[in-house]
Amino acid sequence: MRAILKDGIAVFYPQGFLDGNSAKSLLSIEDIKATENLEAEMILVSLKRVIFFNKNGLEIFVKMLSKVRKANQAIVGFCDYDTKKFNSIIKFFEKELLFSLFNSYEAASLFASSFKDENKTVLIYCEDKSQRSIMAIELHNKGHNPIITQTKEEFEEKRKNDKAYDIIIENTHIGSMDGGNISARVTGNAIIYTLSTYLDADVTNNFNISYHNNSLKVGFRLFIFESYNVVSMNIHAVNFFSRLANSAAEYNATICFVGMQYEKTNIKFKETLEDSGIIFFDKLDDILEDKELLAELGASSVGNAKDKRSLNKALVSQLPKFIDATAETIKMMTNAEAKKESASIYTIKIQNTKDKIASSIGFYGDIDGMVVLIFPKNIAKKACELLIGEETNDEELIMDSLAEFVNIIGGKMKSLLADNDINIKITLPRTYSEVSELLKVADNRKGVQVDLTFDDDHFSFFLTR
Amino acid sequence: MITKKNIDIYIDKIPPAPQSLKETLDLLTHGELMKAAKVAQSDPALRTYLKNLVNKPVYGFKNEVSEISQIFGILGVAGSQQATYNYLLTLLSPDKWTLFKLNSTIFYELQARLSARYNIILKHLNIIDKDVQSAITLLPAAIIVAEALFNEKIEDVKLLKNTKALDYNTILKRLCKVDLFDISQQIAKKWEMPNKISQIIQVSSGIKPSTDKEINKLGKWIHLLLFHELSQPIFIEAGLNDFIDFQVEFVDDIYEEFLNIMGMEY
Repeated sequence: MRAILKDGIAVFYPQGFLDGNSAKSLLSIEDIKATENLEAEMILVSLKRVIFFNKNGLEIFVKMLSKVRKANQAIVGFCDYDTKKFNSIIKFFEKELLFSLFNSYEAASLFASSFKDENKTVLIYCEDKSQRSIMAIELHNKGHNPIITQTKEEFEEKRKNDKAYDIIIENTHIGSMDGGNISARVTGNAIIYTLSTYLDADVTNNFNISYHNNSLKVGFRLFIFESYNVVSMNIHAVNFFSRLANSAAEYNATICFVGMQYEKTNIKFKETLEDSGIIFFDKLDDILEDKELLAELGASSVGNAKDKRSLNKALVSQLPKFIDATAETIKMMTNAEAKKESASIYTIKIQNTKDKIASSIGFYGDIDGMVVLIFPKNIAKKACELLIGEETNDEELIMDSLAEFVNIIGGKMKSLLADNDINIKITLPRTYSEVSELLKVADNRKGVQVDLTFDDDHFSFFLTR
Repeated sequence: MITKKNIDIYIDKIPPAPQSLKETLDLLTHGELMKAAKVAQSDPALRTYLKNLVNKPVYGFKNEVSEISQIFGILGVAGSQQATYNYLLTLLSPDKWTLFKLNSTIFYELQARLSARYNIILKHLNIIDKDVQSAITLLPAAIIVAEALFNEKIEDVKLLKNTKALDYNTILKRLCKVDLFDISQQIAKKWEMPNKISQIIQVSSGIKPSTDKEINKLGKWIHLLLFHELSQPIFIEAGLNDFIDFQVEFVDDIYEEFLNIMGMEY
C-alpha cells in the first residue's frame, strides 16, 4: 500500500479489518522506502475506513512508521477515528504512546508546517493538561487561534456553537513534534520554508538545495523562512543563508525571514543577513496580507531569470517522451485524443491568452529543465473533474486540482524517462490563473513549443531550461 | 483512459452461459437435484471445479466428496445453484491476471470463502431463498471487470492513485458514468441470472442503498463480508483491499452482530 502525499502530509488508507496479519501485508518494506522518499513532514494512517483493529495491527504500523521517523524525522501517527476507536488506542498503548493521534485529517493538517490557511479558530479539549498546553503552543506557533476548554462540560457547551470554530479538536494526542528537516510549502506564488530549533552547520544537510534551485528555475521569486520556532542561529547558518541570498539575487528573487527572535541569537547576525539582501518581518501576515508588498517582493510579478540556458541535445532528444506524458495524461483524465498541430524552436508564443490558465513544473537529475503547459480552461476543468468528482466553477478548487493534475503529468514524465534509464526528480508545480503571469517567467526563454489540440481545444506545451 | 465504448465492447464479448450450465441451472430451479447432478457430471470442467470448491477447508467437510450427485446432495438445491453460478463466474475470469496479483487458485479461494461465510450469515438471518443465496456469486464479477478494463492502464492508475485516494469504482464512474456494479448487473442480465441477485449486488457496492428493506440488509452484510475477506493477507497482497471504497457507516449497525457470527472480539 502506498501513501498519498498532499501538502507535505503522507496518508495511508487501509480498509476493513486491521490485525497483526493484515497489517504486515498492508505495509511492506518497499512501501516504507517509498514513503521515505516522499520526504513528508507528517505520515499518518487514516482509520476512516477501518472498522476493526487490534493492538497487534496498530503496533506493526507504528513499528514501520518509526523507521520513516528515524530516517526523516517525520511526525507519525493515526488520524480519522471516533471516540470508541480513540479510547481503544489509548488503552492499547497506555504507557508507550510515542506517536500522534489526530481525530481528523483536518486537525492533523493544522499541526503541519505546510498548512496553507493560517488563523483558524480551533476549539480544543483534552483531559491531559500537558497535552492541552502542547496543542495550544503548537497551534499558536503555526499562526492559529486555539481556544482551550478546561473541562468536558465546558467543551460540550462551547461546541454547541460550532459555527464559531473552524475546527474542533478532541480525542487527540500529540507525540513528538520535533521534525528535523526544513519543510517547504507553497502559498500563492511564494515558497515558505519552516525553520525550527537550533540553526547550525546542519542546516546545509536539512535544506533541499536542489529543490530550492529548481523552484527558482520554475519561476518562484519569493522565499520566506518562517522562524518563529528558531531558538538560536550560529555563524555557519548565517553563512549558509548569505550564500542563498546571493544566488537568489541572480534571479531577482527575494528571501525574507519572519518571526525571528534575538534572545539567544546575536543581533549582529541579522545585520549580516540584511547586508546580503535578506529582509526581516515580524509576522508572516505582514507579507501575505499586503498585496502591494507581495508584488514588490516578487510573489505576483516575476522578473526574468538570469539563468537563460540554452536547450541541449540531451533534453531535446527526450521531447517525444515529455509530449507523450502530457498527451497521455490528458487523455487518461479526459478521454480526449491529442492532435499535434505545430512545433517550433523559439521563444514561447501564445496567440490567445483569454480563458487560459497555465502551470509550470521543473525537473532535475540526469537532465534538467522546465515544462510549461498552457491549458484552455475547458480542458483544465474537464481534467480536474476526475480528481474533484463533479463539475465546478470554483476557481480556487480548479487551480488546486490543476496542480495535482500537473503533478500526475510530472509523475508520468518521470516514469517514461525512467524506462530509458533517465532519472529525474520533479518540483512542485506552479500554477498561473493568468497566462500573462506565466509569460513574465517564460518570455524570451528559448525552448521547444508544441501546439496540440484536444477535441478542438488548443493547448500549448513548452519545454525549456 | 476508459470510455463507455470500451465498456460496451467488453460486455458484447461476454459469452453466453454454456448449454450444460443453463440446463443444470434450469433443473435446479425446478428442484430436480439429481437430474441436475447428472448434467453437471457430463461437464468435466464443472465437475472438477465443484469438487475443488466444496473440498476447501472453509466448507468444513470432514471427508472428501468427489461425486457430483454426492456434492449436490450435501449442498441441496440452493447450495448447488450457488456453486454452479460460482463456476459460471470463473468462465469470465482471465487466464492471466495483471492488475491484481491473482491466479485461479486464489480467485477460487475468494469465491469459496465468500460463499461459505455468506451461507453462515443467511443461516443467522434465517433466510432460505436460493436466489438470495446465489447473490454472493456475482460479487467477484466486479473484480473481474476491474481487471479487464484497467489491466492495460496499470501505470496510469498508479499515477492517479498516488495523487488521490481513488478506487476503481469511483474512477470508472467519474469517467464513464457507470460503475463496476452496473457492469456486473449487465453480465447477470446476459446470463439470465435472477433479478434479485443483481439488486443485492448493486446495494453491496455500499453506495447504492435500496428502498427494499430485505435487499438493503443483504447488501450491507455482503459489503461487510467482502471487506472482512479483502482484509485477509492473501487478498491484500493481491491488491484487492482498496479496489472499491469500504463504506464503514453503511455497515455500522450490523458490525457487532457480524463480529459475533464470525467469532471475533473487539
